[in-house]
Amino acid sequence: MSASTETGSPAGKTWKSKEEFLGCVILTDWILLVVLFAVLLGSFHIHYMLLAGDWDFWIDFKDRRMWPTVAPIVAMCFAAASQSFFWTRFRLPIGATTVVLALLIGEWINRYDNFWGWTFFPINLVFPSALIPMGFWLDIVLMISGSWLVTALVGGLGWGLLFYPINWPVLAQYHQAAEVDGVLLTLADLIGFNYVRTGTPEYIRMVERGTLRTFGKDVVPVAAFFAGFISMLVYFLWWNMGKWFSTTKYLEIEEV
Amino acid sequence: MNLTTEKAMSAAQAGETDTIVNFKPAYITMGVMLVFYVGIRIYEQYFGWKAGLDSFAPEFQTYWMNLMWTELPLEFVAFCAIGGYLWKTRDRNIDAVAPREEMRRILTLVGWLAVYAFSVYWGASYFTEQDGTWHQTVIRDTDFTPSHILEFYLSYPIYIICGWGAFMYAHTRIPQFAKRISLAFLMFFAGPFMIFPNIGLNEWGHTFWFMEELFTAPLHWGFVFFGWFALAVFGVARQVLDRVIELSKEYEKDALAL
Repeated sequence: MSASTETGSPAGKTWKSKEEFLGCVILTDWILLVVLFAVLLGSFHIHYMLLAGDWDFWIDFKDRRMWPTVAPIVAMCFAAASQSFFWTRFRLPIGATTVVLALLIGEWINRYDNFWGWTFFPINLVFPSALIPMGFWLDIVLMISGSWLVTALVGGLGWGLLFYPINWPVLAQYHQAAEVDGVLLTLADLIGFNYVRTGTPEYIRMVERGTLRTFGKDVVPVAAFFAGFISMLVYFLWWNMGKWFSTTKYLEIEEV
Repeated sequence: MNLTTEKAMSAAQAGETDTIVNFKPAYITMGVMLVFYVGIRIYEQYFGWKAGLDSFAPEFQTYWMNLMWTELPLEFVAFCAIGGYLWKTRDRNIDAVAPREEMRRILTLVGWLAVYAFSVYWGASYFTEQDGTWHQTVIRDTDFTPSHILEFYLSYPIYIICGWGAFMYAHTRIPQFAKRISLAFLMFFAGPFMIFPNIGLNEWGHTFWFMEELFTAPLHWGFVFFGWFALAVFGVARQVLDRVIELSKEYEKDALAL
């Protein structure tokens, strides 16, 4: 089955007309964008759920120390890689926003259809962390500066610092104090204790533990600043990961 | 379609069949996949709770283990059949491919990639996070839980088959991918593929350790590592677009004016 036998277009020509070319290329560009979106969704989601998932799954895991540290650092990996590809190759400052939007679509479908729909946890317990404003921030810094170095330093720090404030409007109501049977706890804790999971005992051991707790109200800014610092470093690494995965190298068949 | 048949066609027929882009097979495949997964999800909703809690119960064997013993051989056959068909019908005169036909094949490959991407979504996103909520809710007494039977042994093999089909299609029909192996395409297929063998590590670990408290347990990080290789879709997209540009030089200005 060879191509060389095709009829209908001049010999050696790819396209019959300019209209055919334009129509076909526009359609194919859109499909390729959907391909990129779906693949980024899948790979980012498996990365995020298995490195930061527990803090993202449950309202009672969304604490003041580990959640604002772990979630932005882990999310930065794919944001940087995606920016590297879209900016370096296409000058499109959309990489970070696109990839966090993809992740959130995957998460929301899952939280509704599976966490709520299959295992019957209330959405109040399982909604995902907000990330889109951080994506805007990173893309805007890259667009204005045109520099991945500046984006790593300014964008990376802002990425970490922004995480808690952008989630606060939703989270605040769950940090209302409650007293149950003489025990002081938050509304988030109370919801968690009413929906026992295998993750519940781990919560007791891992969340809000350690000497930082003694700093009281200062825990969040310290954690956010630390997340920003590590996000800068992660940005450097994953920008280059994105470049590496954009390779157009070929291997000789004998090499494989 | 052989040469004799082609010669017998009228000019009008030839004009009709000379469509350079046809994504309908990809759309249909994704539609079938969507219906299939929605059906499977409904099955899971009902029989997960009704028959999926105790692996020693007879109904577990009936509704879950039978499903697994059915899907695994079918997947193996589909994997071999797709690879075998594409190899057997490969273009043995790849150097003679005309530009228009090459473009047609590249666009068909884009359709394959769309199907692969759709299947990656279901496997890596939908069924994997779903597994998290099931195992935080129901304590497992077997490696072959309802969520695993649909995640590890159904949705993962399906995306592997789709990726294999895309890779083999490119390798057997498109000159740039036939003569050499694209490193990006190899990683794009082989990385997510390796998630499947990594299940061996995962399940082996679960036979030692009770790790249900944390979905982020280090035992799961093998999935993360191999998942990163899906980013090689960047390189594949570049290679496809580079070739489209090369084959469309005459309309470069029109494309830039868009």
